[in-house]
Amino acid sequence: MAGKTAIIASNGTLFDAYKVYNIATAAAASDHEVAIFFTFEGLNLINKEAYDQLALPEGKEQIAEGFKNSNVPAVPELVEMAQELGVKFIGCQMTMDVFGLQKEAFVDGIEVGGAVTFLEFAKDADVTLTF
Amino acid sequence: MIHTDKLLDAKGLACPMPIVRTKKAMNELEPGQVIEVQATDKGSLADLKAWAKSSGHQYLGTSEEGDVMKHYLRKANASEEKEELQYPHTITNDDLQQQLGRDDVIILDVREPAEYAFGHIPGAVSIPLGELENSAAQLDQNKEVLVICRTGNRSDFAAKQLAEKGFSQVKNVVQGMSEWNGPVEQN
Repeated sequence: MAGKTAIIASNGTLFDAYKVYNIATAAAASDHEVAIFFTFEGLNLINKEAYDQLALPEGKEQIAEGFKNSNVPAVPELVEMAQELGVKFIGCQMTMDVFGLQKEAFVDGIEVGGAVTFLEFAKDADVTLTF
Repeated sequence: MIHTDKLLDAKGLACPMPIVRTKKAMNELEPGQVIEVQATDKGSLADLKAWAKSSGHQYLGTSEEGDVMKHYLRKANASEEKEELQYPHTITNDDLQQQLGRDDVIILDVREPAEYAFGHIPGAVSIPLGELENSAAQLDQNKEVLVICRTGNRSDFAAKQLAEKGFSQVKNVVQGMSEWNGPVEQN
């Protein structure tokens, strides 16, 4: 492994999905070990019912056209690719409890853990990012 | 048209897809093989260069045709950096520079066509190592042959092959193109 990248995803709009998954897949393709900790609205990005219809940030609805034109992959496609490249997804147990969501609400292959699970991974990461 | 071992069509794809696809395609290549990546994402040039640097692969160069960029990369070959040279007759880059322009000397470049295309010694003959077995006959046995590659390893094999085929004046250029600071041409 060429490096280690730890990402916290704590927001849930379409913009956030691309910020998180583009960096994650690029890092994985560069042979980084990558984990994403999904917490609070970041859980939208792996929520089976939400992740293929994420909203644009308020007031930015006109950007939808730009997404169409620049041929960026759909979010579910990015999720699949990230998992295929070995990116580890960690759902935040505490937020899931607060939102009343079970593990089954999310894409397959996620781990569920608390803050310490992520910290354990992130403590010796070369790149740490929060979105 | 540069001959490569694999063509990857990443045209129309946005970041980070060209990199992700290149990574996957690279897994299917043998060490030392060359891939052509066609992309229209303008960021792919800087990204692929950086990606090659961090992953240890060799970025060879990029040519542009209209909106399409053709990037050439060669898969890292760890053994190339480590193996000991076996062919005893060698010449340094500096001494090779003194020989440039002599018509009784052939400079034979045994790197892949894409490596050759993005920078070689003027007048050097291109025969990739893998084709030398079948193409050595086109070289004049009466001339001295100075064999060069990137680091002196593939040229070591090539020099041995030529000597076994009866070439009597063969030298391996140690150091090679990676440290060459003499004249270079592209085509």
